[in-house]
Amino acid sequence: MLRIENLTFAHPGQTAPYQFDLEVAPGEIVAISGTSGSGKSTLLDLVAGFLTPTNGEIALDDRSLLPLPPEERPVSILFQDNNLFDHLTVAQNIALGLQSTHGSEQAISDVLKRVGLEGYAPRRARSLSGGQQQRVALARTLLRDKPILLLDEPFTGLDAETASSMRDLVKDLTNAKNWHVVLVSHDEDDAVFLADRRFDLSGNQLTERAKA
Amino acid sequence: MLSSSALRMPSGSGRRAAGILAAAAITALIGLIFWALQNTTITRTGSTIPVDIPHLLRMSAIQAGLTTLISVVAGIAIAWSLDRLKFPGKPLLVGLFASAIVTPGVVVAFGLITIWGRAGWANTVLNAMGLSVDSSIFGLYGILLAHLILDGTFAARILLSRLDANPATRLKTGRSLGLGAVRRFMVLDWPAMRGAIPGLSAIIFLLAFTSFPIVLLLGGGPANQTLEVAIYSSVRLNFDLGAAVALSLTQLVVCTATILPALAFPGSIAPAGNTNSFFWPDRWSVRVLQIAILGLGTIGFILPLLAVLVGGVSANLPVLMARPNFWQALGTSVSVGVSGAVLTLALGLAITLARTNLKSRIGRTLIGLPAYTYLVVPSVVLSLGFFLLTRSLGLRPQSVATLVLILASALLALPFALAILGPAVSAVAGRYDKLSRSLALTGWLRWRLVEWPLITREIGIVLAMGFCFSLNDVGVISLFGTDSFTTLPWLMVRALGAYRSNDAAIIAAILLTLCLTTFWLLPYLFGKLSNAQD
Amino acid sequence: MSFTKRLALAALISFAALPASAQDNPVLTVYTYDAFAADWGPAPGLKAGFEAQCDCTINFVSADSSIGALRRVQLEGDTTEADIVLGLDTSILAEARDTGLFAEHGVDTSGLDLPTEWEAPDFVPFDYGYFAFVYNSETLPNPPRSFEELADEDSGIKIVIQDPRSATPGLGLVLWLKAAYGDDAVEAWTDLAPQIVTVTRGWSESYNLFLNGEADMVLSYTTSPAYHLIAEDDDRFAAAPFEEGHYMQIEVAGVLSSSPNKDLARDFLAWLITPEAQSVIPTTNWMYPVAPIDLPDGFETLTIPEKPLLLPDADVAANTGTWIAEMLDAIE
Repeated sequence: MLRIENLTFAHPGQTAPYQFDLEVAPGEIVAISGTSGSGKSTLLDLVAGFLTPTNGEIALDDRSLLPLPPEERPVSILFQDNNLFDHLTVAQNIALGLQSTHGSEQAISDVLKRVGLEGYAPRRARSLSGGQQQRVALARTLLRDKPILLLDEPFTGLDAETASSMRDLVKDLTNAKNWHVVLVSHDEDDAVFLADRRFDLSGNQLTERAKA
Repeated sequence: MLSSSALRMPSGSGRRAAGILAAAAITALIGLIFWALQNTTITRTGSTIPVDIPHLLRMSAIQAGLTTLISVVAGIAIAWSLDRLKFPGKPLLVGLFASAIVTPGVVVAFGLITIWGRAGWANTVLNAMGLSVDSSIFGLYGILLAHLILDGTFAARILLSRLDANPATRLKTGRSLGLGAVRRFMVLDWPAMRGAIPGLSAIIFLLAFTSFPIVLLLGGGPANQTLEVAIYSSVRLNFDLGAAVALSLTQLVVCTATILPALAFPGSIAPAGNTNSFFWPDRWSVRVLQIAILGLGTIGFILPLLAVLVGGVSANLPVLMARPNFWQALGTSVSVGVSGAVLTLALGLAITLARTNLKSRIGRTLIGLPAYTYLVVPSVVLSLGFFLLTRSLGLRPQSVATLVLILASALLALPFALAILGPAVSAVAGRYDKLSRSLALTGWLRWRLVEWPLITREIGIVLAMGFCFSLNDVGVISLFGTDSFTTLPWLMVRALGAYRSNDAAIIAAILLTLCLTTFWLLPYLFGKLSNAQD
Repeated sequence: MSFTKRLALAALISFAALPASAQDNPVLTVYTYDAFAADWGPAPGLKAGFEAQCDCTINFVSADSSIGALRRVQLEGDTTEADIVLGLDTSILAEARDTGLFAEHGVDTSGLDLPTEWEAPDFVPFDYGYFAFVYNSETLPNPPRSFEELADEDSGIKIVIQDPRSATPGLGLVLWLKAAYGDDAVEAWTDLAPQIVTVTRGWSESYNLFLNGEADMVLSYTTSPAYHLIAEDDDRFAAAPFEEGHYMQIEVAGVLSSSPNKDLARDFLAWLITPEAQSVIPTTNWMYPVAPIDLPDGFETLTIPEKPLLLPDADVAANTGTWIAEMLDAIE
């Protein structure tokens, strides 16, 4: 269980600080909607470790994540773009951050197969379409297999069909791997198709939406 | 009704005309200068000391090549270190590095002499231990060091802005993947900087190859000359105009050959507006290295400038002020500087505003081209052209000296002015062009309401740059200066040549203070001006 | 007439007379080297002497060096305001003549007391001397007696010289080594190079450096010690006699063809070689006069070289350029 309790943070110049309370169960996708600038990315930055809260707690299975720097947190993060390094190949991108390269070639091709990009390993990242790049990024998260997955507007900019297949992929992987997923998006379709629970972020706080 | 529609001119025609006029005038001037260069009667009016052009070319190229190599490497290292460290006063340091482009070469050279010369600070310490640096500052090492100080910091500033332009999301991805320092450099930093390196190298090579004041002061003799110094010697020491012209033409060929391939590389070196707010330091062992690099770079840059200020303050001011040509030099420098800056701004605005009003791409390129020609014409060559032109017209060089100074320094600063004004003006045009036209907002009104408020800061930068360029110039005055007509930097060069280091110290301090103050103050003031109008 | 009226009339007459007298008073401009035009040089004495008998004004304008004065005139072309260039010497004379800028002086130079005959119609000699290395006998008790000794790597002597392209002594040294060593001159320069502290643009700078202790010896003249002896009562300075001999310098002045005051300029040059003008020279320029006058006391202590050297004009004219280039190459 991912527990976020009373997580307080204020950007310099911000009068009223954010205060986040959230619980995410394993295998659960939580979607957060809100107007732009409402602080959605801030929440993700806090969980990932890029920002330090002034108060509160982030814990995974009762183990606090706060003392850990970003590279040590059990978190994978997927942005809208810039998830891959253009000049590297698909395989190199996926292999980044792997502790050991032992047996990695097989592992890489396995995850590529899983996301439907079999045989794409030697291709340069910049030659892929937006949707393919996001798939590669997902393949990487699959390989790293961190228990927490943060998604920041991941499907914005993709056409309807690609976005739809991406959502299916995320749903499948989450179920298979029991990840705790926090999805931030302004796209109504993302929330409707993916979320087990939905939250709104306004007034610097999270409010759960009742199921319709 | 018929008359009004017949009289209605296409919008922007006034601006187009102004721009075309400016471009035509500049082209005409280039043409005249080339004509003068070609038409000089190559009679042996002076001494017959043979000039070894291949040897000069080789020496200049080696020096410029070495300078480029060490400056780019140093620039990468310093930019890398600066990007990773956060400390109070960082914007100040970055701003200081940015001012390397306007720091006078004579000042840096003199600062180095003050520290490393035979009677310098280093020897004061070393002599007590029985050691000495001798005159090693004069020669290739001194030249490379001076160039490194100026060009290395310039490179660092440019490369830092490339690093800053890395999107935050990319950095976050890298960090959450746990990239180590080396991996991070290969995957994040190097790709960001790589695009700027060819253009940057070409510019640094060009600057070093055409270096004049530094080589004049630190060269130590004919073995370490650039073509510029050789041209100067040919005219003033030997009065061998034939040799001077041959050297000038060689210089032009080399400069053009250097800059053209660099223009083919698309990577721009104009500083990107983005400042990345995502800060991600490396682990402490790497940070120690970065602190060391940054410390070394900062000391290396600041120490000579500090030496100049200290030397100037502790020198004997009344002695210098008693010399009559000091006041003349001060007055000339300041007035030429201001006039030159205004002229640069006027020409730059005329061209950039006209560009946004031209539909055809060819037209837009053509109108800016004459200005960029002066990127490959170094100051002594330009001065020689004007000098020969003056003589062909039967005029006394003294009578046109002031005009030549203003014109030449304006032309030399113009490419940089265009690089600054261009993006700013086209950004404004992109945003407001359709809106302005739909509101029938044209000409002067449009300037006052739309453009001026939005590019005020850039105008301040261009004025400051134009002033500093003009103030620093040694090449143009070198051929037109006499005992009674001189500028501050030339007065300093003469003082150093006559071993009047007291005078030189004060002038150097004055030059440095004027340049830095203008470069920092003007953009700030103009920025305030534009904010006040919001 | 009342007193005030007379005063007014006198004032009126004098005012009317002023413009007229201004027109009658031409200005003669002489370009020369800095030490000559300085307050402690010959300029003030010569100016006073000539203006007393010419009804004109003469101004000595300082260029940065002896050859620099010539270069300045070349740079200014026909529009120069100079009427006379003064301070060139026989070594640069051929090149000066080739510029075509100088006119005939028309001065009678037959009665001069020079070691050689003077025949040039376009330049007038006004003093002469012998190049020598000057030193302080207290700091250098055993000076070298030849170039060989000076250039010896164990001598440890530091010298300061001038640039042959801008100063006549510098050029003189190039010719001196050529006259003494012929084809081996280049080798001599290579041997001499380590002793050279620096090469200055003009004579004044190097002499100042020497006096400030930056070098042990300076390229100057056999007559330089006379200044210290007579003007400062200081007998420590001496010129080192060299076994190879000493090169001679005859300093000259010439009238520019572009000058509007050529006749007045010629008058000045003619006056320059009279005993009256020449008597100013020894104790301000510290060189030997060309007219037969008595030398001031103290000059007799100066060494007169046993072997004065002077290369033929034709050789100098043809080869100076190459020799200077060789020298610059050798000392790097």
